[in-house]
Amino acid sequence: MASASGEQTSAEYIQHHLTNLVCGKTPGGWTCDHNAVDQMGFLAFHVDSLGWSIFLGLVFVGLFRLSIPKLSTEAPSGIQNFVEMCIEFVNDNVQSIFTSAKNNLIGPMALTVLVWVFLMNLMDLVPVDYLPTLAGEVAEATGMVENSKDAYFKVVPTTDPNITLGMALAVFVLIIFYSIKIKGLKGFLAELTLHPFGKWMMPINLVLEGVNLIAKPISLGLRLFGNLYAGEMIFILIALMLTFSSISIGLLGVGLHLIWALFHILILALQAFIFMVLTIVYLAMAHETEDH
Amino acid sequence: MNINATLLGQTLAFVIFVAICWKYVWPPIIAIMEEREKRIADGLEAAKKADDSLEEAQLAFDQEMSKAKAEAAEILEKANLRASQIVSDATAKAETEAEKILSSASKTIENDVNKAKEELRQKMSELIIDTSEKILGDEISPEKHQELLKKAASEL
Repeated sequence: MASASGEQTSAEYIQHHLTNLVCGKTPGGWTCDHNAVDQMGFLAFHVDSLGWSIFLGLVFVGLFRLSIPKLSTEAPSGIQNFVEMCIEFVNDNVQSIFTSAKNNLIGPMALTVLVWVFLMNLMDLVPVDYLPTLAGEVAEATGMVENSKDAYFKVVPTTDPNITLGMALAVFVLIIFYSIKIKGLKGFLAELTLHPFGKWMMPINLVLEGVNLIAKPISLGLRLFGNLYAGEMIFILIALMLTFSSISIGLLGVGLHLIWALFHILILALQAFIFMVLTIVYLAMAHETEDH
Repeated sequence: MNINATLLGQTLAFVIFVAICWKYVWPPIIAIMEEREKRIADGLEAAKKADDSLEEAQLAFDQEMSKAKAEAAEILEKANLRASQIVSDATAKAETEAEKILSSASKTIENDVNKAKEELRQKMSELIIDTSEKILGDEISPEKHQELLKKAASEL
């Protein structure tokens, strides 16, 4: 891995792995040039994160759609078992949290979140240098960059806060939408201002409840990001051991990589599950009316 | 942390994928699952019903059986009673018949005895008269001593 390590310091190696491929609008027009990143404003896209995210979303939809023509009530087999297992798992979770209110959007959304986030997290198990190196070689071969080292390619979408917060933002919008739809605008505002302290303390209530409300999407997005970013970081640090010209450190690195990968499988699944459960819980709270 | 339009792009992707899942992925699969669930539930219920009806049939069978058994026992008892009655009737009839035969036989015997006695008496009296005639000669004629003869005959 990282074959020409002589030209790269450890810090550069790590930095290279943590940098996105960005395309954005500069004063001179749209560009994907890495040197122009500083000139880009808000209107910039992490093409790698977004691309993998959409690709994996398509994998999810494709996988589940693929099973539909073969669905049978008699003897489910193969992919149908897998698909039904996922749906049943999600449905059980939704029904245990959504006890009184009914909303047929929650199940599909929870399923999408679970499988999609899991697939995005799963990209973390691909050894950290494979895809970036491949992308660098392709970029160099096609003349997009002069040196493959100048091509940046970050694979795991959930290590990008834009991706996790982007999903959290959608959940946040849904929280507000259902809060207003179920309780009415008045009910929603009352919920924000009339407790915990009663109507004479409205400003304080608003501050407390406002923080409470805002904290939901932020913690939702940052939790996933933080866990995956840290995991990715450890993979990068272990991969760094393999760039040293010492066989014993290299072997130690391989062992550590194996151990961390095995342990990380747990984290990947757990974080996807947590993201799903919290999404359901937040939306269930938005549906609750006789709270106060 | 570079927050940029990627965030909105991901939000849009999220909305689109959730919508696709909501419209095209979730409903057909959940429908199949619910259908199967219903079929299994129906099957279980049918099995339970069949079980119940089996039990019912068993109960009815048992009842019929015990009824039939009781009937059979009754019939048997009646038959036995009838048989013993027939036997006793026949016995009684035979006894009376035998008695009848016996009594008629004894009557006949008595008659025969009486007849024989009468005959014997007749013969005896004739013999006596014959003998007496021979002894006494003409002195005694049957016409003259008819009375005497009758007396002697009755004494025998």
